[in-house]
Amino acid sequence: MAVIEVEHLHKSYGGDIAVDDVSFTVGEGEIFGILGPNGAGKTTTVECLSGLRPADRGRLRVLGLDPRTERDAVRRVLGVQLQESGLPDKLRVREALDLFASFHPDPADIPALLDRLGLAAKAAAPYRTLSGGQKQRLAIALAVVGRPRVVVLDELTTGLDPHARHATWELVEQIRAEGVTVVLVTHFMAEAERLCDRVALIDAGRVVALDTPAGLARRAGQQQRMRFRPSAPLDEDTLRALPEVTAVTWRGPQLEVTGTGDLVVAVTSLLARRQVIAADLRVDQATLDDAFIALTGREHPQPGPAGTR
Amino acid sequence: MTATTAPPRMTARGFRTLTATQARLLLRAPAALVWLAFPLLLLVVFANIPGFRTADDDLGGRSVLDVYVPTIAAMVPLFLGCTALPVTMADHREKGFLRRLSVSPVPAAGMLAALLAVIAALAAAGVAVITVVGSLVYHVKAPASPGAVVASFLLGTTAVLAVGLVAAALARTSSAASGMGVPMMVLNFFFSGLYLPLAELPHSVQEIGQYVPFGAVMAAWDGRGALWAHLAVLAAYTVLGSLLAARLFRWE
Repeated sequence: MAVIEVEHLHKSYGGDIAVDDVSFTVGEGEIFGILGPNGAGKTTTVECLSGLRPADRGRLRVLGLDPRTERDAVRRVLGVQLQESGLPDKLRVREALDLFASFHPDPADIPALLDRLGLAAKAAAPYRTLSGGQKQRLAIALAVVGRPRVVVLDELTTGLDPHARHATWELVEQIRAEGVTVVLVTHFMAEAERLCDRVALIDAGRVVALDTPAGLARRAGQQQRMRFRPSAPLDEDTLRALPEVTAVTWRGPQLEVTGTGDLVVAVTSLLARRQVIAADLRVDQATLDDAFIALTGREHPQPGPAGTR
Repeated sequence: MTATTAPPRMTARGFRTLTATQARLLLRAPAALVWLAFPLLLLVVFANIPGFRTADDDLGGRSVLDVYVPTIAAMVPLFLGCTALPVTMADHREKGFLRRLSVSPVPAAGMLAALLAVIAALAAAGVAVITVVGSLVYHVKAPASPGAVVASFLLGTTAVLAVGLVAAALARTSSAASGMGVPMMVLNFFFSGLYLPLAELPHSVQEIGQYVPFGAVMAAWDGRGALWAHLAVLAAYTVLGSLLAARLFRWE
């Protein structure tokens, strides 16, 4: 059964179209990524899904419930971590969890949750004194404290250092291991690649691709690229003659060979026959980054200030 | 926003925890509580001004202090209702705390009611302190018609709290909340005669003043006009303000 159904969602603010036409479904136990550049409509999509904003058009369902007309019921099964939300400076970690737990009939065990999130030592710390990573982990804790069946996590790791980011990713995997369905909004390719079972790539309010991360990368092209410094002079034309090779160019002392199929095997065996060693060999395969650029026709956004719509 | 959907229910435990949390947060921000100490200080200062405690024939045998104590007591709900209430809520909104609560099963009315309960309890405590210190320490006489005074004071308090709730429901930032609340507070002070004796004001201004919550309270205390009419004005503020606040409440 689909846990989340979004059909032809459309939402504008005044004359600005935030979400033009977005459709996708999320299956039970999936980690589903919503990926796209800033301003693509990712946050608006999950805000509509959470019942925070009414959709102008389209059909939204969370476990078969309408987030607007059955908002109360949706809020009991859906845990949400949103951007631009915080807590009062003087509220302590434990108090925040107790507060949000009190809204639910059967909340999670708070000491265990604190432990798992690495916040046990911070239980008595006021919110203001927490680091960015700790605030983010607390936000996740608040999203899952009501034992939701689905969680929405929006720009979870924006502004976190690499260590905190990896710790957060592990947490998301733990949440899924407990059978919770996860919708993850991100503009980090690496995050989607690491965590997501499937990804919807959104650009300018539309879904431009919906696939597994590997599938998306494949769509960006089968192209592979290898670079190396030949240990002895090498006739480029013999390389070009290989059926796997599509282009050969010199980049300073390095030779760049692009191609498809078993490119690496074909090239290295040729080099071996000619007794040439490929020094400093590097092989690049198409990544989600390439897919992003290929499918949206723009450079992928560098980690920048949050605040997407 | 919530007005278009079925109002979400809230667990009793959730409401209790939210109320306790609000109380804790207010008590941890002592700046908001200066306003409890200020009227008490004013009472002590007034009581020590020579002549303020002697009976005055112009005041019907009452002292200046006797007359002023209810006005000083009225400062407590005015301060709390017009500033602490909207500023606290707007601060929660500004920090994104309300946005986070809005995706939990918490209705707008529950959010308002929890903060209101805390503010009302503080106001009751503040008024009780002024009354007790006034009567036990300075032997202030009870008002001539205590029934009218108590009834209008209670309704006056609920009226300013309801008006404060509307500001609390709407203000996007704590400074915007001050911008709404402080003029409201000053207007009420003015018509409660804190700055100028009401009798010195033009008749038409006095008439208008009876439709300002604490103007109506003062008119009830002074026996100007019909008591029921003043109480009706205050009840209208209370009911309309609360309904409006629950309807207009903004999470972000």
